[in-house]
Amino acid sequence: MIKSYKLQRTIADVVIYVILAVLGIIWVSPLVWLFLHSFRAEGGVTVPYVFPKQFTLENYSKLFTDTDVFDYPRWFLNTFVVAVFSCIISTLSVLMVSYTFSRLRFKSRKMFINIGMILGMFPGFMTMIALYYLLKAMNLTQTLPALVICYSAGSGLGFAISKGFFDTIPRALDEAATIDGATRNQIFWKIILPISKPILVYTVLTAFIGPWCDFILVRIIMGDKRENYTVAMGLQKMVDREYKQNYFKQFLSGSVVVAIPITILFLKMQNYYVEGVTAGGVKG
Amino acid sequence: MNKTKRFCAIALAAMMAVTAFAGCGGTPTDTQTASGGDTTASTGDATGGDTTAADDGDPLLGEGAAGPISLKVWGPDAAQAVLKDQCARFSENMKAYGDITIEVVPQGEADSATQVLTDSSAAADVFGFACDNLDKLVTASALLEVTGADADFVKSSNSEASVNAATKNGSIWAFPETGDNSYCLVYDKRVVSDEQAKTLEGVFEACKAANKKFVMDAGNGYYSCLFMFTGGLKIDGLEEDGITQKFTDYDETTMVNTMLAFHKLFTENKDYFLNGEVTKIVDGFKSGTVGAGFDGSWNFSSAKETLGENAGFAVLPTINVNGTDTQIVNMFGYKLLGVNASTAYPNTAIELAKFLSGEECQKERAEQLNWGPSNKVIAESETIKNDQALSAILAQSAYSVPQVGVAATFWTPVGTFGSKIADADNPLDEAACKEIITSTIANVKDE
Amino acid sequence: MTFIEYKSLTPAQRVTYKVKEFFSLLPGRCKGFFSAIGKFFVNLFKSFGAGLKGYGARFGAGDMSTKLSYLIMGFGNFTRGQVGKGLAFLAAEVLYILYMANFGLVYLDKFDTLGLVAKREIILPNGRKSVEFVDNSMLILLYGTMSILLTIVFIAVYVANTKAAYEAEQTQKAGKKNLTLKQELADFLDGKYHITLLATPVILISVFTILPLVFMIMIAFTNYDQNHVPPGNLFTWVGLQTFRDVFKVSEGASKGYTFIQLTKWTIVWAIFATFSNYILGMVLALMINKKSIKFKALWRTLFVITIAVPQFVSLLLMQQILQDDGVMNVILGYLGIAPISFFNSTALVARVTVIVVNMWVGVPYTILQTSGILMNIPEDLYESARIDGATPVVQFFQITLPYMLFVTTPYLIQTFVGNINNFNVIYLLTAGGPKKDLSLYQAGQTDLLVTWLFNLTMNSNDYNTAAAVGILVFIVCATLSLITFNLSKSSRNEEEFS
Repeated sequence: MIKSYKLQRTIADVVIYVILAVLGIIWVSPLVWLFLHSFRAEGGVTVPYVFPKQFTLENYSKLFTDTDVFDYPRWFLNTFVVAVFSCIISTLSVLMVSYTFSRLRFKSRKMFINIGMILGMFPGFMTMIALYYLLKAMNLTQTLPALVICYSAGSGLGFAISKGFFDTIPRALDEAATIDGATRNQIFWKIILPISKPILVYTVLTAFIGPWCDFILVRIIMGDKRENYTVAMGLQKMVDREYKQNYFKQFLSGSVVVAIPITILFLKMQNYYVEGVTAGGVKG
Repeated sequence: MNKTKRFCAIALAAMMAVTAFAGCGGTPTDTQTASGGDTTASTGDATGGDTTAADDGDPLLGEGAAGPISLKVWGPDAAQAVLKDQCARFSENMKAYGDITIEVVPQGEADSATQVLTDSSAAADVFGFACDNLDKLVTASALLEVTGADADFVKSSNSEASVNAATKNGSIWAFPETGDNSYCLVYDKRVVSDEQAKTLEGVFEACKAANKKFVMDAGNGYYSCLFMFTGGLKIDGLEEDGITQKFTDYDETTMVNTMLAFHKLFTENKDYFLNGEVTKIVDGFKSGTVGAGFDGSWNFSSAKETLGENAGFAVLPTINVNGTDTQIVNMFGYKLLGVNASTAYPNTAIELAKFLSGEECQKERAEQLNWGPSNKVIAESETIKNDQALSAILAQSAYSVPQVGVAATFWTPVGTFGSKIADADNPLDEAACKEIITSTIANVKDE
Repeated sequence: MTFIEYKSLTPAQRVTYKVKEFFSLLPGRCKGFFSAIGKFFVNLFKSFGAGLKGYGARFGAGDMSTKLSYLIMGFGNFTRGQVGKGLAFLAAEVLYILYMANFGLVYLDKFDTLGLVAKREIILPNGRKSVEFVDNSMLILLYGTMSILLTIVFIAVYVANTKAAYEAEQTQKAGKKNLTLKQELADFLDGKYHITLLATPVILISVFTILPLVFMIMIAFTNYDQNHVPPGNLFTWVGLQTFRDVFKVSEGASKGYTFIQLTKWTIVWAIFATFSNYILGMVLALMINKKSIKFKALWRTLFVITIAVPQFVSLLLMQQILQDDGVMNVILGYLGIAPISFFNSTALVARVTVIVVNMWVGVPYTILQTSGILMNIPEDLYESARIDGATPVVQFFQITLPYMLFVTTPYLIQTFVGNINNFNVIYLLTAGGPKKDLSLYQAGQTDLLVTWLFNLTMNSNDYNTAAAVGILVFIVCATLSLITFNLSKSSRNEEEFS
């Protein structure tokens, strides 16, 4: 009886291993394809076989040296700068908003929360043209600060997860500090933030990734100002009708280069991410 | 209550600081398009002031006298070097009348109209665009009209079709830049013989024999309109409202028979037909899986690079409809040079566009970039005659419908129409064809 | 009823309980929701009225210095020892006037007509024509809206100013000293800390999210379509005409028919996309976290690594792989399976394809997001189920899924709404195709409402239709999520830890 139970469990485990392995391969293989073909020497956009026949580093070297049409290094730097700044502003906004909603009690708090929740539900690109002319009125169009503003201005609306996280921190902590004479400002910076590393990392990570992925807003804000494009916009342009034939392999290698820093960051920070989102998600 | 209001005071102060800056920063750059208060100053001066300058033969009409002129020109990446060179020559020619700085900025012809319509004051003064955007641009008054002597110049030096492509409501709105924005048959000479390239049946036969594919982007309205045009149903400009497509009358039987002929051919040769993007043609040449395709002129140099001497170019083939070989008719576009209506130097900008559209510049583009000219003299020149690709595409213009007066609603339904004809898995009969063609027309017209 | 109590019921009882609970709560919640909206507006008007009432009363009761504050903002505070506060009010007034004089009034003036003259033609001496643009309806609408919003804020500040002046007067009369700026500022770090923290985000959101949003909403009430594109043309107010067009179901291709078809598919898509990711992600997370499974980090990394590639890259990649001649069909060919046209054959195939690809993109997120919560499920629930002889599958559906649904409702709503507005997946993968239904107006069979909107704005410049549809989608999403959110346990028990 016990033996068969054990056997059953072993079988179950084997089945799970098989499923995980198969699905894992399915999940990773497109990326492996991306990686392999970013070294492909022959062919253009598609080739009628799975593995490249010849490998070369040319796609990568062209990416960084052949900068007349596609100034990839410059765009990479732009994106990095924009990501850093918008990440700082976003993180601060998100934390400030979510802390306020979670810990402080004031009139019309519920209303603010509800408004905040639904504001993000309007299709974003619809407001792009308005955004463009607002930025133009501020003389910011075709500049990197404009992008920073666009990516971080509305970030305060994404307070749900971190509010959930703050909700899980016992209020006794605040009360004890208040008795000791601490102001709310001090409580926020000196007591709550230091123990909120998971949600901090989660917020930083999501805010940092944003600018690497947007290719619609940049197009309208930057117009013909190529030197201020971001990587996503540049990569998207490489697969436009005009360039696809000649630049597709560079698109592949460019994608790999973008993915590397984010991958490293992500794998390093994964545990915090999970911790943050778990605590935040439960309370929402 | 009190708290909220004091908070508002601070919020307002901050907000107003921001917007006040906005006001200060925005006004000067905006005057062109927006406030209208003191805009007349810039253009007005140019108008009123220097009438005498024109008498002196100053082609810039005194625009250069007030100070340095700076212009921005948009052209595609491939043409940057040539364009820069030509612009520099223009500045040099005009040196006597003013100090002109021209900035050449890469911007593809497909996108430029959208960019101009988004914000014309940030767009180039002179820009290249595909002629199907003419309607949009003219409707929005984004272009300066070409009048008088300039119009005569355009009419006398360019092919009639290219002039038509730049004409709307009886006026000319742009200077023709090229006469090659279309597609024709591109083939691998080792697979398809020049003789076989004359009929679509021959092309398929050759591909079948070599087990290679024929590529056409039948789900894309730009290519699939050829089914419609070959069948005799052509576009005929726009209705008076400026947005609804007009169609010519057509014979339903011929139309249906043509659709069935294409459908039958695609179905019979299912394994040798690839319905996909045009990039697959050159890709396929590289990997040896494709024998021929309907490819755009912008891809010709890649095709030449890949196939070398074996690259074949010919006008679109014929198709056998009920026993008669019918020439396939496609859509033919032109690239035009437009002058942005928001330009601060209308005269200089028009002068520049005229120069770039001239014989000399077109010749250089034909030689250095392989761009088919719209200029009549260059089109007849030896340069073109010796180039199989350019002569094929120029010859194609005789069997085509000019890409003008195309409604924005045209492309999607016509793409759908093409997908249905090319769909080998869902056989069509006469009734289905009739249904498809009527609903396509209805959909384009949004009825 | 707590979760444990709930688990002690028999399955039949549970279902009854759930259904009962849902329906008993729903009307109340809906009613509550709409009455809350009603109350919001009533309160808004009430406080507006109260503000005005106080405004007049204070003018009569106040002394000279308070009365002067009605003209020169901050005057009352300034003369009563609150120099900083007085200056702040004054600065607000000066800035507002400067803004209006230099910028705002021009646009506000034309706001009712959105401009009368679009352009003037200028004939140059040599006969060439040039154009001068005068009124740009879009800029009038945008900057006019901005000025109106700013004026509303200013009025609030102005009324607050009169109140502050009056209060300062009363405090002084009572023989007390008014608070200094320093004291007031100190309070912003403690008692009014929420104002300090919210100020910057609220300003940013107001300017860059709410203002553009209001602008877009206004567009729906104008005739800003392909025939009225600025700067050469004017557009103007047309009331509800655009909404009528959207709902007008005529024969053949019409916007109304398309709207209905796309709404259906959008809902189907949102349901499948949300729950396929949710369930598969959870199952995988359970497998990875099962005690006896080794190499947890490896398994997790395998899945999570796809998150690191920017989404549009992975989608373009998938689009390439699933082409008719893409590598997927090459592999199928090796396996002796006939090639599949993933995006171009039938609507069903394409729809299944996008849902599956969406799983590839989304499941890793679910794995990360649910792993931790799954570990929190009380172990004794499983233990008792095992004693009852429940198989893992039964355990999943009887314990894990209900528990997770119980706990992660807000997350699910967010994902659901996110999927309704999921632009990238459709736009990059199929671009709406296959486009084989000729009754659809400017749309394909996998187009979601949001991608249709994008096409309408970008290709046909029908901004008003797009805005109208956007508003409709927005109303549905907002109502749906507010009701469910306020229904969910987490919202009701928010104060649990307090």
